[in-house]
Amino acid sequence: MELAMSKSSNLTRTDLDSSFESQLSVSSRTSCRSLRLAEKERRKNQTGDPFVLALKYFSEVKAGTPRAGNDVLKRNLVLVERVGLSRGLPPEAISVMLDFAMSLCMGGVMCVRVLKFLIPATVVPQEAVVRAVSWLCVGKIAISTQVLFLRWVLTVFDMIDSKDHLRAIYGFIFSFVTEENLSPYICHLLYLLTRRESVRPFRVRKLLDLQTKMGRQPFLLHLLSLYKVFYPELVTLSLPSRMRSGFKIHNSTWKVALCAVQKRNSGQVSSDISLSLGLKDETNSRKRKFHHLELPSLSSSIQSNSSSSRSRKVLSLEQLHSFPHLLDNLHCIELPSQMGSLLGSSLALCYLDYVQDDSVFLRLNFWLGHALHEEFLYCSRDGSSGSSSEALHFLNRLLSTQHFLQEGFSSTEGFLYKFLNVWDGSLLRPQILGLLSDIPVVPSSCISQLLFEPLMQLFFTSTLFFKCSVIDCLNNMLLKWLTWHSVYALEDGLDISLNRHTPMNMTLSGFMDSVMELVRFVGRLATVGLQLEGCHSLLLSFILDFYETVCDMFLKYGLPLVVMPPAGVFYPALFATDPVSVDRLSYIMYRYKKNLTSAKCQQQETKQAFHISRQTCQEFNHYLLFMVNCLWNSKMFLPGMAIEVDQELLVLSKVPEPWTSFDLNHHPAFLGCALDFHHKCWPERKDIDFNSIKVAKPWNWYMEFLFSQGFQGLQQFAQSSINRRSVAGISGQRGSQPTSR
Amino acid sequence: MFKIHFRFFSVMEERSSIVKTPLNNVLAQRRSNSYRRSMRSCVEATNLGYTSGHLTALRIPRSRRTPKSRDITKQVDPDQVALLVTKEWELSYVTPLYQFRHTQLKSYSKHLSAFIVSEKQQGLAIEVGQELGFKVNFSVVLGLAETDEDAETVFIQILSRQAFAAKDDAQKVVWSGWLTCVNGDLEYLRSLPSEFVSLPLLCTRGPESLTVLVKSWFEKTFDCCFGPLGINSANLQWLAALWIGCHPNINIQYLKLVWTLPTLPPMDVKYTIHPQDAWELWHSVRQDDTTDVSIEEVTRFIKGLQSHFFRHFRIELSAGSLMQVSTALGSSHHSGKIKIASPTYITTILQLLTECALLKMPI
Repeated sequence: MELAMSKSSNLTRTDLDSSFESQLSVSSRTSCRSLRLAEKERRKNQTGDPFVLALKYFSEVKAGTPRAGNDVLKRNLVLVERVGLSRGLPPEAISVMLDFAMSLCMGGVMCVRVLKFLIPATVVPQEAVVRAVSWLCVGKIAISTQVLFLRWVLTVFDMIDSKDHLRAIYGFIFSFVTEENLSPYICHLLYLLTRRESVRPFRVRKLLDLQTKMGRQPFLLHLLSLYKVFYPELVTLSLPSRMRSGFKIHNSTWKVALCAVQKRNSGQVSSDISLSLGLKDETNSRKRKFHHLELPSLSSSIQSNSSSSRSRKVLSLEQLHSFPHLLDNLHCIELPSQMGSLLGSSLALCYLDYVQDDSVFLRLNFWLGHALHEEFLYCSRDGSSGSSSEALHFLNRLLSTQHFLQEGFSSTEGFLYKFLNVWDGSLLRPQILGLLSDIPVVPSSCISQLLFEPLMQLFFTSTLFFKCSVIDCLNNMLLKWLTWHSVYALEDGLDISLNRHTPMNMTLSGFMDSVMELVRFVGRLATVGLQLEGCHSLLLSFILDFYETVCDMFLKYGLPLVVMPPAGVFYPALFATDPVSVDRLSYIMYRYKKNLTSAKCQQQETKQAFHISRQTCQEFNHYLLFMVNCLWNSKMFLPGMAIEVDQELLVLSKVPEPWTSFDLNHHPAFLGCALDFHHKCWPERKDIDFNSIKVAKPWNWYMEFLFSQGFQGLQQFAQSSINRRSVAGISGQRGSQPTSR
Repeated sequence: MFKIHFRFFSVMEERSSIVKTPLNNVLAQRRSNSYRRSMRSCVEATNLGYTSGHLTALRIPRSRRTPKSRDITKQVDPDQVALLVTKEWELSYVTPLYQFRHTQLKSYSKHLSAFIVSEKQQGLAIEVGQELGFKVNFSVVLGLAETDEDAETVFIQILSRQAFAAKDDAQKVVWSGWLTCVNGDLEYLRSLPSEFVSLPLLCTRGPESLTVLVKSWFEKTFDCCFGPLGINSANLQWLAALWIGCHPNINIQYLKLVWTLPTLPPMDVKYTIHPQDAWELWHSVRQDDTTDVSIEEVTRFIKGLQSHFFRHFRIELSAGSLMQVSTALGSSHHSGKIKIASPTYITTILQLLTECALLKMPI
């Protein structure tokens, strides 16, 4: 500390000298400066630092030393004052000067003057403040000076190095509260110092007495409202909205100097000068008759305080201010009186995630369910349900909470099942569908009644955009279900392979049934949806999104289930007019193959009955065969293939070589690519003949060209399912055989 | 838009209620805390064939017992019964109260009175337990509960000292209310954890401002929620039938029904029936003299009244909605107001209202 002091005084000297220096001409400055510094150093070593000396003077000065005409005093005082206002005083200096001032060694005037330049450079030692308070108790100091001192303490409060000793003299400080002029400041100080243990019935009574004497003073109310936080069973009050801003700020005397000092010390100690109350901000003050969408405020409950918990240390959630603080006190946190208030604070949600108690969730669900029912289903007596912006806000908050917790509340789920029956499909659509995608796995026995029937009705009578949103929502739902499965199946030590005798497998098969139901339902929706919307590519894209999830259920999520898309999805995607859809379909088929082959491998390794049905494999083989024949081998409409068309009908259509019309060089989706390729290959040719691509070498080039255009799905599909010969030739069928049955 | 929804909903509510849904697991799945839990519930669901419990947890009964006259004053303190009857009460439903204890009523009285004063005098801190302008009395009405699962009824009175009254003047009752549960659905009540007390029906009487304060104190203290409880047409019809059924024992003097028809401007039809005529009609639609009354009988009874009205006035009452039913035994209004004039059939009425309140529970 000594070192720090001498350093700071050093700096001060240079600072003082710099004013002289600035008068010198620029040319002479550098040479003079080094001389001067050297000389100064020498002088300091001889005589000691004047700042230290000044402090020494103030710490040793006898009481009653005359002030008038005291040159030593004047010189020292000016020195310390200048340091204080420019660089701030080090902790020792604060201690010495505060003691000097408050002891009234040289009278009240001097005290006021000292207090005004008591700007801390780093911290304020709490002992100094405690000593000063004890001087306050002596009671010789003028009231205005006492006020000045208290204002100073409040201003530098955050810079006091620790507060435990100050809290120890809480009672002494409290005794000043009756002093009329001091009480606003004392109340503020007490507010900052109050801990649970400092709230006592006699103090509450004292403050209430004062209240009757002085009327409704904001400072009393703020202190009492803090007492209420700790002991709601002792005192109760409701703050009017105009009083909610907090205590007045009394730092005017020091503000400028303090800011300057802090700026200069480059914010080593950041003191938040504005101390505010943690009161709920009433942004939504518009009165509603029914306020069920308002979040309750975090406040401690009357009941839990009363008996058992008084003995142990508890912390209410409203006192928490940071995540580390939460972690430190995780064992002693008291739940608020209203669970709904948890939704308003992310810290509280962190705690909720940790809580195991079922009644906590039940309380939360009662509140949440009530709010949702009242707002959207019962639409209480006043008829119109307020403004939708409030509902929007509420649902968004609910959504973000559920995403934070990564699961849906059961009251939301119950609400949605009812609401889907009356929903018009447009009211708050993104929010409702978002909530819907959060619902946990629905048992297959009731999934149709609860979910599918109402959704189907909405789906078929709505716009394209809504259809896309529904498919997207169901995709998200499936993703979440699968994620839960993959996380918790591991956690529970569930074996993926089916072993039919343990009860756990019942749950796995139950889960699989639900997933199966969902996938089939989307298959039905998609088939009809595509028909209704004329195979709209936007809808198709959302549907393919869904199947990208479905095709990877085994490999990505460890669910031994493969479900193929229905024909109503597969063929529209294959014959789509945009290359992206065809490419994505190829990718999906490629992933299906990967999943099926690895499921097959696993089956052979573990020698268990295979759980993927023969029919699924056949379906897959059909699709695969058709795709290869259609895109690569120019074979279509042949007897025995999936799509058969009467030859005479084909002749009537007058399409030349109809079987080639969907191979990669004729496919409408790839027309642009084929044209491009044709130009690049034969730039001089004027007449375009796509058939010329379908020759061994150009065909290989054409494939390379397509892959280079970013059709990765097509590439992966080709690499996994087609061997070279079949690509090159027309005959190769064997290469396209999938490995599974 | 919402009005239409509401109608659809009430239709749906009935439709879905046909499926009986055992309730054992309704509350087991609070938040699907883990996959294991949700899986368990899946399995249980498939085993028990229950529809996840979420559709309509409670079913609307399709038949009821005929009202049995019961001299309630034998079980319940007559003074307390006198407080409940012959007054009109406004109804609300309440979600289960968390950590409500019948043994703590004294301290609740203190807290509620302090709360009311501090809310009335915004910005004035109040010491709990101090003598104040308001006095609150919590008391238990023993004997109203019908089953072991029913929590005992709690009666609340708010008394106020008149501004210029003499010191020893009696305080005046400015507000009263009671929370009750009579013959609540056993499965629902049993599925609640022990920290919760279900008193789903709140009847209040007094200035709205005090009702709001009392509700908000309950919400803050017991983490519950209140909502208005209307009595829909179907339940008003039930009440009419129940009251008519009492006629042989107690003269109901009149049966008055009020319909509102959706004309422009809306038309109110007040329809008063002579009790003997009503009783004869009722008697004729009753299939047998069992102790159970079925919904079909009630519907037929109302249909009979409506077709009679149609013959005379060519107005189809079934196009409107029943708003109000009253007899000498009591009256009830669509907006959720009820008056019980005679203590004899009080449990029957309260059972019906408890049922309505439980149907409103969000989970």
